[in-house]
Amino acid sequence: MPDKKSKTRRILGHIAPELFAGREAELREITSLAAHTAGPRSLLLLSAPFAGVSELLRQSYDKLFAQRGGASPIYFSLSRGDSTQAAARRFLHTFLTQLVAHRREDPTLIATSPTLRDLLELAAPSDYEWVERLVQTYERAREDGDERALVRACFGAPQQANARGARTVVMLDDVHLAANMSGEVELGAEIAQAAAQADVPFVLAGLRRRLADVLNGTAERPRLDGMRALHLEQLKSVEARSLVEQIAQRAGVALNDETRDLIVQQFEGSPYFITALVQSALLSGTALTSFREFQKLYVDELMGGRINRRFNSVLEEIVPSVALRRNLLRVLHESASNVGGKSPVEAWLRRLVVEPLELERIMGGLHMRELASFHTTFVETSPGAVWRDFLRVSYRLQVAVEPRALVVADTLVETLKRAPQTMARHYRREAALKLGDLLERFDFQRVPASLLHYDRFSRMYRGVPVEEVSAGLDAETDLIRLPQVVHTASCASFHPPILQACDEERCAVAHGFDSSSYADANEVVWIAVEIESKLEAGRALTEVWLDRLAQVAQACGFHRVRLCLVASEGFSAEAVELLNEREAFGASRQQLEFLTARLSPGAAAESTGGNEFVMEIPMGDDTELIAAHTVEQIARRMDFQPEAINQIKTALVEACINAAEHSFSPDRKIYQRFRLENDKLVVTVSSRGLVVNPIASENGNSPANHSNDNEAGEGAKGRRGWGLKLIRTLMDEVEFERVDDGTRLRMTKYLRK
Amino acid sequence: MTQPNHAHTALNPLSDGEVAVVFAGDYVNKLSGQRIERECRLKLESGYRALVINFKGTELVNSIGVSILLGVIDIAEQKEARVVFTNVNRHTVELFELLGLTRHVAMAESDDAALATLSEFAAPSPPQGH
Repeated sequence: MPDKKSKTRRILGHIAPELFAGREAELREITSLAAHTAGPRSLLLLSAPFAGVSELLRQSYDKLFAQRGGASPIYFSLSRGDSTQAAARRFLHTFLTQLVAHRREDPTLIATSPTLRDLLELAAPSDYEWVERLVQTYERAREDGDERALVRACFGAPQQANARGARTVVMLDDVHLAANMSGEVELGAEIAQAAAQADVPFVLAGLRRRLADVLNGTAERPRLDGMRALHLEQLKSVEARSLVEQIAQRAGVALNDETRDLIVQQFEGSPYFITALVQSALLSGTALTSFREFQKLYVDELMGGRINRRFNSVLEEIVPSVALRRNLLRVLHESASNVGGKSPVEAWLRRLVVEPLELERIMGGLHMRELASFHTTFVETSPGAVWRDFLRVSYRLQVAVEPRALVVADTLVETLKRAPQTMARHYRREAALKLGDLLERFDFQRVPASLLHYDRFSRMYRGVPVEEVSAGLDAETDLIRLPQVVHTASCASFHPPILQACDEERCAVAHGFDSSSYADANEVVWIAVEIESKLEAGRALTEVWLDRLAQVAQACGFHRVRLCLVASEGFSAEAVELLNEREAFGASRQQLEFLTARLSPGAAAESTGGNEFVMEIPMGDDTELIAAHTVEQIARRMDFQPEAINQIKTALVEACINAAEHSFSPDRKIYQRFRLENDKLVVTVSSRGLVVNPIASENGNSPANHSNDNEAGEGAKGRRGWGLKLIRTLMDEVEFERVDDGTRLRMTKYLRK
Repeated sequence: MTQPNHAHTALNPLSDGEVAVVFAGDYVNKLSGQRIERECRLKLESGYRALVINFKGTELVNSIGVSILLGVIDIAEQKEARVVFTNVNRHTVELFELLGLTRHVAMAESDDAALATLSEFAAPSPPQGH
């Protein structure tokens, strides 16, 4: 049983365990693999650049090492200088060293680089036999010059060890580097195969833009089946703030809240950059209690610190030639200076003076590290603030050959001037309504029309207490059916010039359908924007935004468009008039908050107290009668009038018949939900199977109906297909929707006492 | 009088040999509709000149049932026979109205009322036995 209380000491970690923060969940997930109950489940750790994946793995190693008696941790990082054989050899050596070290509880062994023969002698008696056999297998493969056998012998070591009772957790880092290794076999694919076949948990980590491709190799069948993917992104603001606080506190670096927040924003939540900076502060004895101190330290890091070394190392790896690298810096800097950071591939070819294949290789390296994105015809330099600062500084020093003092001074001044803007943007982003998220939740829901018409809302609810507004909204019968949104993105993603008018998160574009049939005619694009206005937005401002969004729609080729403007305090009467003329929606922040609350997951259940019945009946044998009797009982509880109850029953019977007749259902079942809301009963009938639109088949127009005519009775010919017509007449609202693998009919009956 | 659960026929003593009464049953759907249709067809073929379809105890009629009932009316018309629906509850009447069935058939509150209606329109003629 692992001793979980053992104190973790630093073995492989670059920072002390107590300084490692912000990745608790990931650390827990990796270390949990050591538990016997976890089985051989492996993890694919897809990391963003500078997200701190290597340190996470090293910390996991140290933590697992401290758990005496458990599985032995193995950490191995691929190296860009290795050949396939060298990497395999190194792995075997690392594996045996770390395994023996753990089993001997002697971490000092790791740093001593013992030979394989040394390790054989140091191995525990119970391990001796299999270690010797493993070494012999490896040596035989090496002597035979059989690279595949050698690679398999080395990466098969964890499985061999496990078979003899030596269980390990194998963490392989920088696996994406396997792509560029010289050798006869695809190392990435071999690693994936070893991980898939072993009864030992593996963690395969690497850069997210490359890792999966490297592991799959050229195999037609994916080798990663069954592996759980863990995405390692930059930290969110809250986590990053906590990281800065914790490591500063543990390192004894003074920190104030303002500087902490700026560090988080400027480094965009990168644990790597944050840790590098705080460590630099520790080493230089700098307090992080003012923007000035922080930016001075930051500029030092850019000019020659860990951040500088890291970027330089990456560029050297991509372009070893000094002259070409200088050229690359120039082109990257120029590209970054263009609108959107884009430039055509032809320009890169001309400026770099390289063959297309070489350019492709360079772009592959930049793309993998997310320093640029390669889009066949153009290249986009990544917008990360630190990367752009590094480019600017490096360009001025290495290409423009400007005096270092001037570059330092300018950069410091610029970063200080930029700091308030960075924070202001952060505050605006935090305060934004997150329109994209809201649009995503539309999903054909019906909402009171007043929530999207400021004039109505203002007329009905201005000055009314919140509880009364909620009650009023619940009672509204004029409802708008929202579309189902299938994709949202910021408006700037479609049309970058919009950034000149508003922040990225304040304007969203949502593609969707306003009817359940995914057809051209139902396609619709919503463009929603949050406009800045301290008072009610006037007509002129509203007009500017309506025109602007119409231009976006035109430029992007959107055909059916709904515009939605959100102004904090709503709109003036003249502005409302214009919104109505242009058939655009307009809402205040308060309306959007009500809308958000109504569209939140679980909002409906909350408003009804979760009053819902669910029933599943087999098709045929008059089972619709059972459904009808059930709904009768429910409707009675709600005090529906007898006439209305009969109407609901008949509608439900028709819906069941429709489901049974039209669906070619594979499971021959009808799924029903009866939801009781304050003033209505919502009945949903769904079934799996072929989608036949009963609207098109009304009154016997469809072939399906004709076939049923014959079955129904001779006299019934041409008189079938009244079901939906009946339902529409008997119920207050009816929606027929195509859903994945089937259909859903939603019928609502309002309570009229 | 005990109400049958399924459609069946009975001879009306007041018009023996001329009017057949067919009971609809508690749920008129495809299956029971076809049964009604078969009963009616048989009655007409055996010479009855009028049909009374009694909906006493009928709780629900679905649209397939309605379409079959319309077919029955068609068949009766072809045979120059009359059809009257009796004991139809209010909800079912509304349903028949909604689907246009009441335009093609007479409605009566009871079998007696149905016979009275039939005697107004139809001159009795002997059954055409086989």
